[in-house]
Amino acid sequence: MKADAFDGRRMPERPRHGLAGYRSRRLWDAATGVGVYLRTMVVFLLVWQAAALWIGNPILLPTPVDVAESFVELAGTGEMITNIVVSVTRLVASFLLAAVIAVPLGFAMGLNRTVFEMIDPTVELLRPISGIAWIPLGLFILGIGDALPTAIMFYGAFFPLLINTITAVRSVDRSYLNAARTLGVGRATVLLQVIIPAALPGILVGARLAAGAGWMSMVAAELIGAPSGLGFAVEWYRELLMTPKVLAFVVLIGLMGYLFDRVLRAVQRSLTRWAEPRNA
Amino acid sequence: METLNDAAPKLRLRGVRKEFVLPRTGERTVALEEIDLDVKRGEFLCIVGPSGCGKTTILNMIAGLTAPTGGSLEIDGKPIDGPGAERGVVFQDYALFPWKTVWENIEFGPRYRKGSALAKSQRDERVRHFIDLVALNGAENKYPYELSGGMRQRCAFARALANDPDVLLMDEPFAALDAQTRVILQEELLRIWGETGARDERRTVVFITHGIDEAVFLANRIVVMGSHPGRIREIKTVDLPRPRKPEMRASAAFQELVEHIWQLIRDEAYAATVKA
Amino acid sequence: MTRVISSSLLRAAVLPVGLLVLWQLVVMFGTPSRRAPMPTHVVEAAWALIGSGDLPLALIQSFGRVLAGFAWAAALALVLGALMGTYRAVDRSLDPLVESFRSIAPIALLPLAILWFGTGTPAAAFIVGYAAFFPMIVNTIHGVKSVDPQLIRAARTLGVDRLTILRTVVLPGALPYIFVGARLALGVAWTSIIAAELAVGAKAGGGGTGGIGQMMFVFYAYSVDLNGIIVCMISVGVVALVIDRGLRRLEQWMLPWKR
Repeated sequence: MKADAFDGRRMPERPRHGLAGYRSRRLWDAATGVGVYLRTMVVFLLVWQAAALWIGNPILLPTPVDVAESFVELAGTGEMITNIVVSVTRLVASFLLAAVIAVPLGFAMGLNRTVFEMIDPTVELLRPISGIAWIPLGLFILGIGDALPTAIMFYGAFFPLLINTITAVRSVDRSYLNAARTLGVGRATVLLQVIIPAALPGILVGARLAAGAGWMSMVAAELIGAPSGLGFAVEWYRELLMTPKVLAFVVLIGLMGYLFDRVLRAVQRSLTRWAEPRNA
Repeated sequence: METLNDAAPKLRLRGVRKEFVLPRTGERTVALEEIDLDVKRGEFLCIVGPSGCGKTTILNMIAGLTAPTGGSLEIDGKPIDGPGAERGVVFQDYALFPWKTVWENIEFGPRYRKGSALAKSQRDERVRHFIDLVALNGAENKYPYELSGGMRQRCAFARALANDPDVLLMDEPFAALDAQTRVILQEELLRIWGETGARDERRTVVFITHGIDEAVFLANRIVVMGSHPGRIREIKTVDLPRPRKPEMRASAAFQELVEHIWQLIRDEAYAATVKA
Repeated sequence: MTRVISSSLLRAAVLPVGLLVLWQLVVMFGTPSRRAPMPTHVVEAAWALIGSGDLPLALIQSFGRVLAGFAWAAALALVLGALMGTYRAVDRSLDPLVESFRSIAPIALLPLAILWFGTGTPAAAFIVGYAAFFPMIVNTIHGVKSVDPQLIRAARTLGVDRLTILRTVVLPGALPYIFVGARLALGVAWTSIIAAELAVGAKAGGGGTGGIGQMMFVFYAYSVDLNGIIVCMISVGVVALVIDRGLRRLEQWMLPWKR
């Protein structure tokens, strides 16, 4: 009931030293976490450096120092920013488009049996065909340009969103629906105030899977059939045998994928504050 | 003993049957057979019986969440054909909306109810009143996961009351609580029900429980049920004076009633327990 | 009862059949292009490709690469995952690496793989293994960590040694998660082999390395056979489905206590 009782319940293994002690304890934990992280990464970079020096061929394996220099250079010329903007624009556009179509469709399919029976078989027929398998046909229809990566990413993101929305809507606990109905509210209220919030966590899980799947198919599509974007840049510098720049863009692709997931996690947390926090 | 008005029952069940079809075999089982029951206006009625006697099914049918296979259910002479705001339910697992705070949960009925939604100021006043009544002050902005079992129970109770129902249906509301909390909440429930006040201001309550002593402590009348198939064994009037006091639990009259009801359901309760 | 079944079957069939008919009609009467694919030609192409043995061969080649890549990735992921799940120090030290590499899309590494291994099977197996490694290790760690410590303590008090505990308590407890990981891993592995073969075809100018992705690229770039491309897409889907269902079966058979 009291604030400290609540804290005690969430962190049962920690003795209570009052708020100040608790804060400094958390700070210490975070600091050692960063320490361990840095230690691992430093060891990794040293091993890489040693391996690169031993191989002695910067086209096969450049040193981390070379890669870092390329990274800075690319950032300085604006080439990196241009490609990031291109890729992220595609990513956001196709992700939003997929969400706008898949989520309402998922609700319709989750709520109405007839709609589900009509659409589900087609979904199940298309779903196993990965977005990447559409690239050759897409190249033919859309040509090399902006449209192909956007379309492939849309396709990659669509199914995780749809399937997770259907499951989330269907698994809304009946007792919440019963509770709302016995309070005498109408169907619109049940949808807005009960089904949508109850399904939200599942839909957000779907959104994160969709972003991951979409990002992967988009890099592939850019690599094969686009004149711009991060995937294109990687392949471009491989053909020029400028491996440090290849690696700089590979690092960037990892970084962007990570950041996008972080953003979605933050959205997830802020939208589902009411959910019981898992014991960390 | 208090007399209750028999003239116009609040709820009237006539020949209510419920059959279930087993999904695997298609076999029909009779869950309830031919239930006749009148619940009087302002009465506190408890239903006790062994597991599987269909207590919850009766409650769900009165709530309008389940349709009977045969027979009729009426409230104030009108047939029940679905859930309605005049019948509030407190569920066994509380069914608080996890995405709404205590305040928002209690506000749910008055705010979103069909037809008679209240203006904000009236609504706030009412929510405040019920939060005070169930002593949840200070927890208004907490989410259900942050509450203890007893607090959740009180919140669910306040949510049902804030919607101003004529009939309150409670499905083993104290089953998940520890013994001390349960005893305290039983007394609280009677206080909120209005035991000390005028009798015609009290709501009609149908209360399902496993606990025989709980039923005796709370009820005007106790419906004792048997199972296989679910049916009414006996309806027992509790003529203990109100307001009920904790000391009454030790009285001979109280113990006699408990013992009598226990004898009625003992064999079936044993059978159900050993089989399960 | 039968009427219920037939009407839901009807509902299921309306959309796919309708789309196929529409597609056929639009191409037959609506487009001047002779190249535009349509269902009847797709069926003919499928028949020819299966009859000549080209399609089965390509699928077997691709699937072989998937298995090769999956094998090394799974072996590494199981060992590392078991260590990380058991020892907190190992977990804390290696977790930053796993998290950093996990977010790199496997296809982005293809140019590097081509530099290192050429355009043949090793490059493909590298990409596939890289893609399969992460679902596998993440689920293994999770599975090992989720084993109830109470069970391990119970086994200890019964005087069982560490290796036996690993074999009889930890492994069965983690197995359901490992299966989930394996199913996800083979799924992304199959997706990335297509991407890898396509990209090798597109960027290394074809060549005789084979595989279903390569076949699609040849249809796209040289013979411009759109019907053939669609046959390949469908077979990619069928193999994905077979992998998924096959592993689910295997899981049910090996873990009969689950559900």
